[in-house]
Amino acid sequence: MALDGLLANLALGLSVAATMQNLMWCLMGAVIGTAVGVLPGVGPVATMALLLPVTYVLPADGALIMLAGIYYGAQYGGSTTAILVNLPGESSSVVTTLDGYQMARQGRAGPALAIAAIGSFFAGCVATILIAAAAPPLTRLAQQFAPADYFSLMVLGLVFSIVLARGSIIKAFGMVFLGMLLGLVGTDVNTGNLRFTFGISDLFDGLGFVPLAMGIFGIAEIIANLTNPERRDLVSSKVSNLWPSREDFRRSRGPILRGTILGSVLGLLPGGGAVLGSFSAYTLEKKVSKTPEKFGTGMIEGVAGPESANNAAAQTSFIPMLTLGIPSNAVMAMMIGGMMIHGIIPGPQVMEQRPGLFWGMIVSMWFGNLMLIILNLPMIGLWVRLLLVPYRLLAIAVLFFCCIGVYSLNNSANEVLFIAGFGLLGYLLIKLDCEPAPLLLGFILGPMMEVYMRRAMLLSRGDPWVFFQRPLSFAFLILAGILLLLVVLPAIRKGRETAFQE
Amino acid sequence: MRIRNRQDFATGLFFIAIGLGAYWIAADYPMGTAMRPDTGVLPKALAWLLAGTGIILAGKSLVADGPHLTEWAWRPALMITLATIAFALLVDRVGLAITMLVSMTLAAFGTPETRWREYALFAIFMVVLGVVVFILGLGMPIRILPQGLSWR
Repeated sequence: MALDGLLANLALGLSVAATMQNLMWCLMGAVIGTAVGVLPGVGPVATMALLLPVTYVLPADGALIMLAGIYYGAQYGGSTTAILVNLPGESSSVVTTLDGYQMARQGRAGPALAIAAIGSFFAGCVATILIAAAAPPLTRLAQQFAPADYFSLMVLGLVFSIVLARGSIIKAFGMVFLGMLLGLVGTDVNTGNLRFTFGISDLFDGLGFVPLAMGIFGIAEIIANLTNPERRDLVSSKVSNLWPSREDFRRSRGPILRGTILGSVLGLLPGGGAVLGSFSAYTLEKKVSKTPEKFGTGMIEGVAGPESANNAAAQTSFIPMLTLGIPSNAVMAMMIGGMMIHGIIPGPQVMEQRPGLFWGMIVSMWFGNLMLIILNLPMIGLWVRLLLVPYRLLAIAVLFFCCIGVYSLNNSANEVLFIAGFGLLGYLLIKLDCEPAPLLLGFILGPMMEVYMRRAMLLSRGDPWVFFQRPLSFAFLILAGILLLLVVLPAIRKGRETAFQE
Repeated sequence: MRIRNRQDFATGLFFIAIGLGAYWIAADYPMGTAMRPDTGVLPKALAWLLAGTGIILAGKSLVADGPHLTEWAWRPALMITLATIAFALLVDRVGLAITMLVSMTLAAFGTPETRWREYALFAIFMVVLGVVVFILGLGMPIRILPQGLSWR
């Protein structure tokens, strides 16, 4: 019965995703994503922000298919740079540099690239099926949520983002609070009162997510990257012997499977996503290995595990966004931005009201993964050539694209001024070693939480116990409390620090 | 008293300053009732929480050792910011071509690695690309050249 429903849904999705136009948008997303992934210093958040205005002219399904392709495409591309240049093309490929680059130096770049792509493809297929299977029951659950439940779920989400942030937990708390404060700027939707607007009319509608993300991720990264001139040690521009040996396959099977499972789970968590997936998978592989001391010298397990995990996580992080309307990371917030542009309010109702869009997007992910493995393996030489563009020029091009992208959102030059300010804020945060991800999540969830808090209080006639009386809400809050307790306890904190240092 | 973790100390001060500033601005926002919480509830709560976080962080930095602040990169920070501001101020006034040249050249001054001959070629390429893609292709309502000089 359930299987029949699933097949019918996938068939509907296939009919949407397999149209000529949508295949083209999917390919376009995959190509742009790969390029972004290959180039260090250009991330998927900034790229999606740049392309949001372009998606105005596309139909809704085409736009979302393309935006999704950029994210998982970047996971493929990131590994290429990590293996060939010893630089993470994408932050989720940091650990791939450890063993991938060593393999390349031993003349085994081909097998490393191939295993990364094959692992990513396998993980992508599994994650796609997982999304298709998990979305309907979760959506049904979400339809029973009361305002108090939503509020507590968002509290849990923020706690997760704090616990999972790298570095100091106290700083992560501060980042969430700061993000929520920034989210309050503008008109209070319930009362019409203005908050923190300083009489500037551009602020009455609130700070835009795109200028904020673009400043903090785009401009700040340019400043930081220009400070330390990078050296790109390209091992060789010719990659021969692409196909891995039978021994490589045998050793990679386990890591790919474990990475896929671990990544799929971690992708669901708010604040999780691709980066956390790859770090954890590397740690796991080292733990289960019989020769952990050999990691860092060119072990194929150290490439297969993380690369599968980051792709699985990139895709399962769509689940909370599609079913609950809650973004688990900055990229998903961008996807929500893309949906809003086309008048779609993310949440459980999307699956019922726009089934074609919903399932079309999911099926397109499988097509996208198939295209990516073709794009990445035979065409690897082309992508390597992209790395010949020096960062001193790339930085200028990225800066221009950021400026024109923000300008084009509302044809407003003032919003470009905002990204200058956010760029400096972002640079300050890099200097202070504060991770910006919790800030962004607080920025998005803060105003939503206020709305749900008010609704819940109104429904309960001012009784704050409502958050503990509803079983779901209570469960979310208890879980959040336990998580916080766990990280405050020193023994576990130590364990967490070592996990991130590896 | 000695500051043993300058990075955390600076972060703490930053949080405290923002928290106090936000509280000061939000001071006269109405609080409402428990049943209908008004505009002021969340801003004031968050301001306290942020300042409190800052106090904990600054306090901890006095007892536990930690990293120093690294050197500020004044040159890229200043030039990239100026380049962005220049774009914002010029784009509606003098058209895309001149805006791009000014903004990109400011950015090029942000790093000592710029090779000017290479940059000149790159700048021409970018201006052509920008005009073709964004104005001719996507039809953005920006003029190409300043008024009086241009055909659109």
